[in-house]
Amino acid sequence: MMQNTDIAVIGAGPAGANAALTAARHSLSVTLLDEQPTAGGQVWRAKSTAILDAPNTPETVAGSRLRQEIDDSLVTHIGAARIWQIERSEKGWNLYVLRQGRSEVLHARALIIATGAREFVQPAPGWTTPGVLGLAGATALFKQEMTLPGKRTIVSGTGPLVFFVASEIRRLGGEVAAIITPNSRGDWLRCLPAMVSRPDLLLRGARWIADLILGGIPIWWRHAVTRVEGQTQVASIEFRKLTADWSPTGPARRVEGDSLCLGNGLLPATEAAQLAGLWLEYSLQLGGWVPCQVADGGTDIGGLFLCGDGTGIRGAAAAEIHGRLAGLSAVQHLGADTRAERDRLRAAFHRAARFGMAMTSLGIPRPGLLRLTTDETIVCRCESLSRTDIAAEISSGAGSTNAVKSGLRAGMGPCGGKFCQTTVARMIAETEGCTEADVPPPTPRPPLRPVPVAALAGDFRYSELPIPKPAPL
Amino acid sequence: MRLTPDQSSRIRRKPRVEFTFDDLPVSGHDGESLMVALMRSGHLHLRDAPEDGGARGAFCCMGLCQECVVRIDGTVVESCRYAVAQGLTVTSLRQKS
Amino acid sequence: MTKIYDIAIVGGGIMGCASALRMAEGGMQPIVLDQGDLGQGASGANAGTLSLQIKRVRLMPYALKGHHEWEAMGEAVGFHKTGGFTLAFTEREAALLHERQTLKAEAGAPITFASDRQIREAEPGLTRKVLAASYCPEDGYANSSLTGQYFRRRLRDAGIPYRERCPVSAADPAKEGFNLTTPDGSVHARRLLLAAGAWLRPVAALLGVELPVQARINTVSVTERLPPLVSTVIGHATGLLTMKQKSNGTVLIGGGWQGRGTPQEGRGHVMAESVQPNLALAQYALPALANARILRSWTGFEANVPDFYPLAGALPGVENAFVLGCVRGGFTIGPYIGKLMGDFIMGREPQLPLFDPARSFDEETT
Repeated sequence: MMQNTDIAVIGAGPAGANAALTAARHSLSVTLLDEQPTAGGQVWRAKSTAILDAPNTPETVAGSRLRQEIDDSLVTHIGAARIWQIERSEKGWNLYVLRQGRSEVLHARALIIATGAREFVQPAPGWTTPGVLGLAGATALFKQEMTLPGKRTIVSGTGPLVFFVASEIRRLGGEVAAIITPNSRGDWLRCLPAMVSRPDLLLRGARWIADLILGGIPIWWRHAVTRVEGQTQVASIEFRKLTADWSPTGPARRVEGDSLCLGNGLLPATEAAQLAGLWLEYSLQLGGWVPCQVADGGTDIGGLFLCGDGTGIRGAAAAEIHGRLAGLSAVQHLGADTRAERDRLRAAFHRAARFGMAMTSLGIPRPGLLRLTTDETIVCRCESLSRTDIAAEISSGAGSTNAVKSGLRAGMGPCGGKFCQTTVARMIAETEGCTEADVPPPTPRPPLRPVPVAALAGDFRYSELPIPKPAPL
Repeated sequence: MRLTPDQSSRIRRKPRVEFTFDDLPVSGHDGESLMVALMRSGHLHLRDAPEDGGARGAFCCMGLCQECVVRIDGTVVESCRYAVAQGLTVTSLRQKS
Repeated sequence: MTKIYDIAIVGGGIMGCASALRMAEGGMQPIVLDQGDLGQGASGANAGTLSLQIKRVRLMPYALKGHHEWEAMGEAVGFHKTGGFTLAFTEREAALLHERQTLKAEAGAPITFASDRQIREAEPGLTRKVLAASYCPEDGYANSSLTGQYFRRRLRDAGIPYRERCPVSAADPAKEGFNLTTPDGSVHARRLLLAAGAWLRPVAALLGVELPVQARINTVSVTERLPPLVSTVIGHATGLLTMKQKSNGTVLIGGGWQGRGTPQEGRGHVMAESVQPNLALAQYALPALANARILRSWTGFEANVPDFYPLAGALPGVENAFVLGCVRGGFTIGPYIGKLMGDFIMGREPQLPLFDPARSFDEETT
């Protein structure tokens, strides 16, 4: 990997890849980094090399086209690269990258962060049982490995992913036991005005649902999974109807299956942006906490740009355009005038965002959702801390996510709080009588991903150890 | 005729390779992730949670949750991001009785 | 009628809280104010090392008492007495070790020099390249991140009011003492104790006092859970390495490697160029660490004044105001010196002498 680049882009999904491609057209050196071996991000994740041949989908076509564009361009794409630290330097940025067991530094004059989204799953009893996958996790599994999580899968969650995942299970020869979604048909109808701008997606979604209905697969609208049963593997799930504010109500029903795909919307992955020095602000419409940003992928920090779902969940189509905008902003920062080009793209970005944000709206949590997390439900998976454990910490005075983390370790485990901090924050908000906007996530710390000591130690020679002034005696 | 056809028979994969998981023979298609090879072979219970010993396995499938980790050559790795290879010796992080 | 507290304590770390508890025991009515969560500063961010081998000679009696305090706090703060080794790998380090540990032993710490066999039996996982080592059976560690929650519970149990996420932006003389301006309204107190650690300089400036407080930005890293690799707390003759494995299997690695930032910015930043050699040294000392994954690195501020002795006494030039902080080895000594401070403020003779903040700060040569 070269040591210096004009523009470094973190994340090779639709946003980051387009940022890189756009910038590379302006005679600047561009390095595009991603922890996956190939570009595509989550939405256009490439098939593993184990798959020699498979039928195309709109995602594989779009992904292949993007990967081809990158190959044909002057962008330097570095795959299987995990950025573990981001530091400002006099000339711009130092990125510390873990590759093939070693840590290397990349110096960049400008930095574009396009880290995309991860998913939020509302903890429910038994959600840690093997055989339970995240809904977005399932899409990653299907796109990359085209393998089913089990023989008979229950699919549950908000938004379009629930129907996409069910459809993919059918396409891969699996059996969908049932679909359970907190959304109602009315919730979806309210999205129609925003969806008509994309008749292709609307039609595709309608086909998924029609196929499921024709296949006799029950769709339980306005329902949610309330318990996963099974000791070392999923055996069945219990589910109940929800009130309009998403509180479980009515009798429990049961469905048998050996696997469950479960998800409640997407969250922007903001750790890299925070490490680079950005503060977060809360936006319900964009999926929660997003980095403070200005127009065209800009930020208040010179030489730092953002684009894509990592700035707010607006979807893939908007991400592509946002990437171009951010790429142009980075180019502007390094000397060329790109205002006219950016002016031409802005309206399209906002139009494209409408669809994505309508999908995001389906995941906006309602007060009753937190009730799915019963007292004995594990909230912090890494440290096996239940809702009761965390509630006790909050009621004994821990009034911030940092304080809960310090007291109990919720958020200090290997996942770094990614899967618990949202629920912990909502618990604090409920207890304190404030909103989630008043309870920011804890400060993220490097490394951004776990890194082996040997990779960080590198080629250490004891004689190179600095000799400090002796401590005062 | 389904609106979403079953396309599973149209997927062609590389030949299988053999490896071991806690000394049990497992096979997977050359290049696919360890997680998937284990999943297909029915090994969903990959580890036991440190505090309460609860059974855990793959969850996020994208290298974040750390639930799918296994041990290879003394290092803990995410099985969802590690490709199978012939002769690999994989041990689980399960509490052995 | 707004309440007038006997004393307002600015800074809710170990020292501020320990002082508050002592004064409440003595019948006073304190209030504790912190800009963030209790114990969020140095108190909660350090590596938790409780080692007499790294204490200053003159502060040894305070450190010995401090160890008793931590032992009394016990499980609630994750206290473990494991014993500790300080390692030397070169002739120079061995000479330094011998000279300094001898003086510390003479100051009262039960420090001895360890034989090769003793180290290998106690810590078979350590590298064989150890040239010399000292040992202290009193050494151990506590879990610094539990500090905040521990003192929160103690303050609540003692009925001492405290306000978190409540920075003090002004401290003005008022009838009967001081009027502090905070986002939660004014706080009126007859006396003031400044215990704001790395933030003592700006806090003292509110009262027009200049304190020559500087802050080091110490880096700590933690691994994932690991099988047992080391059972004592490990130090280094130069101080560049501290290492301990906690009961949950994670290994905490420190050594005073510097991050970047100032207390005014709020938090420090980890610098990769500090983390890497810190961890390289840890791996050198404990080779099995090579395969361990680091989950998190962070920094904590450690305040000091130019002579690296505590500020503990009356605030120069301001009546009814006091200051406590900048104790070298503040985590260890904090719970004890907080008690001494409380006694001093209540007009009682502290068990050991305090450290006049009005002294002249010529840097001592050691």
